[in-house]
Amino acid sequence: MGAYLIQRFLLLIPTFIGVTIISFLIMRLAPGDPAELRAGGGLRGAGESGISTEKRGAVDQAVAQWRAQYGLDKPLPIQYAIWMKNLFTLNFGESYKDNQPVVDKIRERLPVTVKLNVLSIFLVYLVAIPLGIYSATHSYSIGDQVTTLFAFVLFALPVVWLGTMAIVFLCGGDFFFLFPPGGLTSIDYSSDWPLWQRLTDQSWHLFLPVLMLSYAGFAGLSRYMRSGMLEQLRLDFVQTARSKGLPERVVIYKHVLRNSLIPMVTILAGILPGLIGGSVIVETIFSIPGLGQLGYEAVLARDFPVVMALFTVSALLTLLGILLSDLLLAVVDPRIAFGRRN
Amino acid sequence: MRQRGSLLAVMLCVVFAAVLPERSGGQARPAPVTGDWLLAHILSDPEQLNPLTSNDAGSSAILGYIVQSLLTRDPRSLELKPLLAEARPVISADKLTYTFKIRRDAHFQDGRKLTGEDVLFSIKAIKCPLVNAPFARVYYESVTDAQLVDEYTIRFNIKEPYFLNETMLGGIDVLPRHYYDPQNLLKDVTVKDLNGDPAKLADNVKRFADHFNKGYSRNPMGSGPYKFQAWKTGQEVELVRDPKYWGIGKPEVDQAYLDRHKYRVINNVDAALTSLKSGALDTMNLQPLQHMQQTGTDRFKQDFDKHEYFSPNYTYLGWNNDHPIFRDKRVRKAMTYLANRKQMVKTILFNLGQVIDGPIYFHRPEYDKTLASIPYDPKKALELLSEAGWKDTDSDGVLDKIVDGKKIPFRFEIKFNSGNATRKSVALTMQDELKKHGIAVTVRELDWTVFLSDVKERKFDAMILGWQMSVTEPDAYQVWHSTQAANKGSNHIAYKNSRVDKILEDYRREFDAKKRVELYREFQKILHDEQPYTFLFTPKSISAVSRRFRGVEVLPIGGLRPLDWWVPAGAQKYSSKSTSN
Repeated sequence: MGAYLIQRFLLLIPTFIGVTIISFLIMRLAPGDPAELRAGGGLRGAGESGISTEKRGAVDQAVAQWRAQYGLDKPLPIQYAIWMKNLFTLNFGESYKDNQPVVDKIRERLPVTVKLNVLSIFLVYLVAIPLGIYSATHSYSIGDQVTTLFAFVLFALPVVWLGTMAIVFLCGGDFFFLFPPGGLTSIDYSSDWPLWQRLTDQSWHLFLPVLMLSYAGFAGLSRYMRSGMLEQLRLDFVQTARSKGLPERVVIYKHVLRNSLIPMVTILAGILPGLIGGSVIVETIFSIPGLGQLGYEAVLARDFPVVMALFTVSALLTLLGILLSDLLLAVVDPRIAFGRRN
Repeated sequence: MRQRGSLLAVMLCVVFAAVLPERSGGQARPAPVTGDWLLAHILSDPEQLNPLTSNDAGSSAILGYIVQSLLTRDPRSLELKPLLAEARPVISADKLTYTFKIRRDAHFQDGRKLTGEDVLFSIKAIKCPLVNAPFARVYYESVTDAQLVDEYTIRFNIKEPYFLNETMLGGIDVLPRHYYDPQNLLKDVTVKDLNGDPAKLADNVKRFADHFNKGYSRNPMGSGPYKFQAWKTGQEVELVRDPKYWGIGKPEVDQAYLDRHKYRVINNVDAALTSLKSGALDTMNLQPLQHMQQTGTDRFKQDFDKHEYFSPNYTYLGWNNDHPIFRDKRVRKAMTYLANRKQMVKTILFNLGQVIDGPIYFHRPEYDKTLASIPYDPKKALELLSEAGWKDTDSDGVLDKIVDGKKIPFRFEIKFNSGNATRKSVALTMQDELKKHGIAVTVRELDWTVFLSDVKERKFDAMILGWQMSVTEPDAYQVWHSTQAANKGSNHIAYKNSRVDKILEDYRREFDAKKRVELYREFQKILHDEQPYTFLFTPKSISAVSRRFRGVEVLPIGGLRPLDWWVPAGAQKYSSKSTSN
C-alpha cells in the first residue's frame, strides 16, 4: 500500500502543474486588462456612468505604471514562472486591488464559506439518503413518483430565481418577514451577546442560504441512492437473506444499505473542492462575504493573483479528493486492490 | 484633486440648521440634534481606503468624511472656501506661487495638531513616484516645489498659470504625517527631488512608499468629522462621529449630527430593496424599475421619501471624425436629426433623464442656454444627406456616394461595451431608425477593455460612451483639443478645429470667470454646429431616504448630502450606547 500511495502521490504533481498552466492561460487569454479596469474606476465603474473627463488624460500613464507594478509587461511564460516560483514558497502574491496578501483575503473568507458548505452538504445527505431509501424500497409506487418528481422540480429551479423570490417574499419587503434579506448577522449584533443569542442570530441568517445551496442536491443524490439500492436488491444474496427468514428491516438496513453506500463514498470525496467553491450565486444573492464572492469579483476585475490562488486551492482539493476516494473505496470494498499484485 | 466628497459628500455650512435658534417667532424650526445612525447601501466593498491610492467612487465617498483638504466648496454655491486653511491662498502676480495659511485650531482624530508639516508631507506623498497613486499624481504634475514658510504657512511653486491650480492645491488631502510616515522617512526629501529621476531617490523613499502602499488600505485617519471604526469585508464599513472633532461649534465649519454611518454591502439590488423595506437600510439608490413599480405602496411612502436628481454625466454617440462618411459635418448633423433622443429618454431611461446638446453640465454658468436643441426630424436629415451627396444610385436600398474617387455605401458599425443595457438600446434604436432611411448599421458589443482599446486606437466608425461632467469649473481641453487626438489621448473621435483649440488654451489661462464663460459659450456654439458627437442624454438618479431624517435636501447641482442629516430626539432608532464594542 505504501508504494501505491507514493505512486499516486507522484502522479498528482504533473497533473497539478498541468492544471495551473491551463488555468493561467485561460485567465490570460481572456480579454481584459486589470490595469485598464482599475483605471476605469474599478469593477462597478467600468464605464457605467462615464469616465471623468479630467481623469481620462491620466489613464494611460496610470495604466502603464500599474502594468509594470503587476508585472504584466513581461512575457506570459516568465509571468507564469514567477508565479510558480512564488508558489513554492507558499506565496500567492498580492491582490491588484489593494496590495493585500491573497492568503489573508482567503483566510478571512474561508470560515464563512466552509460553514455554509458543510451545513449544506450535511443537509443534502440528511434529506437525500432517506429519500433514496424510501424511493428504492417503494419503487414505482405513488410515493416514489411524487418524491422523485418533487426532487426534480427543485433540481430544475434556478437558484438565482428561487433565491430572489425568497428574499422578496420572505424577508420583510411587502410580504412576510421571516428571515433577514442577507448578511451574516443583525445590524446591532454584538460580541457581548450571550452565546445562545449569537447562535440564534447566526442560524437565522444562515437558514435561507443553506437551503438555497442544498435543495438542488436532493434530486441527484437521492437518485444515486435509489439506483444503488435497487441494484443491490436484485442480487441473489438479498433473496438468500429473505429466504432464511430475516425481517425485511434487517435485510434492507443491514445488507442492502451497507453495500449501496459504496457509490456515496465516491461522491463524498468529490465534495471536497466544493467546500470552498460552488456557492458563488448564493453568496452573491444573500450578500455573504465568502470565497465564492471573492472569486467572482476577482474574475470580473481580472485580479489574477486572487483568481489563480483560488484555482490552485480548488485544484489541490480536487486532486486530494480523488486520491481520498480511491483510498476510501479500497477501505470499504476489500475487492479493490492497490496497484498490481504479484 | 479627485472631486471626491470634499465637494459632494462632506463639509460645509449647514447655516440654516446650526445657527438658527430653536424658535424664531411663530415659525418653529427645530435645531438639529446629534444621535442615531445612518445605514446606507453599497453594492460592493470599497476598493481600499488609502486616500491616495484608491481610485473608485465608493472609496472616495467614504474617505470624504474622514479626510479633509485646505479648501472646499460650498455645496450650494460651489464657491471655493477655506476649510483647513485660514483663507483662500495668496496668489503671486505671475500666478506661479500659491501661499496658504493653515488654521491653528485644527487637529487630527488622534488629537495631534495639524500643521504645515502635514500638508508638506501630503504633497510629497502624492508626488512620490513610487507611491501607487498615478491618478492623483497627474493632477499635481505642475507642482515644481513646496516649502514651509513657517509652521503654519506653506508655499507651492507651479510650472504654468492655470485657473484651476487653486482648486487643485486646495484639494490636497491633508494626511497626518506622524501616522502615515511614522519614521519620518520623507523628512529630507524635497518635492523637487521627487520630480527628478526616480532611480536616484534615496532608500528611505523606497521604504516609505512600500510601507505606505501596503500598510494603509484599511485604516484611514484624518481630521474630518467622522472616524473610521471598522470594516468587515463584504458586510459593512462603519464610521463614527468624532466627539472631539476640531470643527465642533464653529459656525464656519460644517457640523455632523448622526453618530454612525454604516455602509452595508448588499450585492444584489433586489435584496437591497427588501432590506430597505424591512428597515435594515435607511437609504439606497433605486433602479428605474424599482422606482416605477416596487416603491409605490402607501406603506413605502409612509416610511420613505424619494428624491430625484441629475447625475452629472452624459452618454454620447461618437462619430469618428476621420472616417470617410463622418468627415462631413452635414452627415453628422443628419445623424443627430435622426436620433430620436426624447423618445430614448422616455423608453430607455423611463423618463429619468434629460436630452443634452453639449458637453457642459446644464447647471453650470458656462452652459449656453440659447442653443436650440436639435429635434428629431427625418425630413431635415434627408435633406442634409442629399445635400452632402448621399443617394441610392444603384437602387440596392443603401445610400451611396463617391468619396475619394471610390463609390462607398452608407454602411457603418456602432461599437459599445457589453453589459451596458442603456448603450445597447441606444445602438439598436439607431440601427432601426437608420435602416428606414437607407443606412445600414451593424451593432457590435465588446468587452469593456477590448472596446476601450479599440476606441483609443480609433478602430471604430461610431461608438457609444459616456463622460462625467464637472459640476465645478469645467475644463474640456483633454477631450476636445486637437493635440489630444494623437497618442491615444481622450479626443477619441479626432475632432480638430483650430478656433476650438485656441479657445481651450485661452480658457485655461484666463483667471477672470466672466471671460471664461464667454469663451466656453463660443466653444459650445461651434460644437453645436459641427456635431462631432451626437450628444444624447444625462440620466437622473433616485434615492429613497427614511423619513425619520431631517435636513434631507437635493443640492442644486444634484445629489444628497448625508452630512447635513439628523434625526429628532423622539424619532431616533439606534443608540450608540446599546452596543459597546
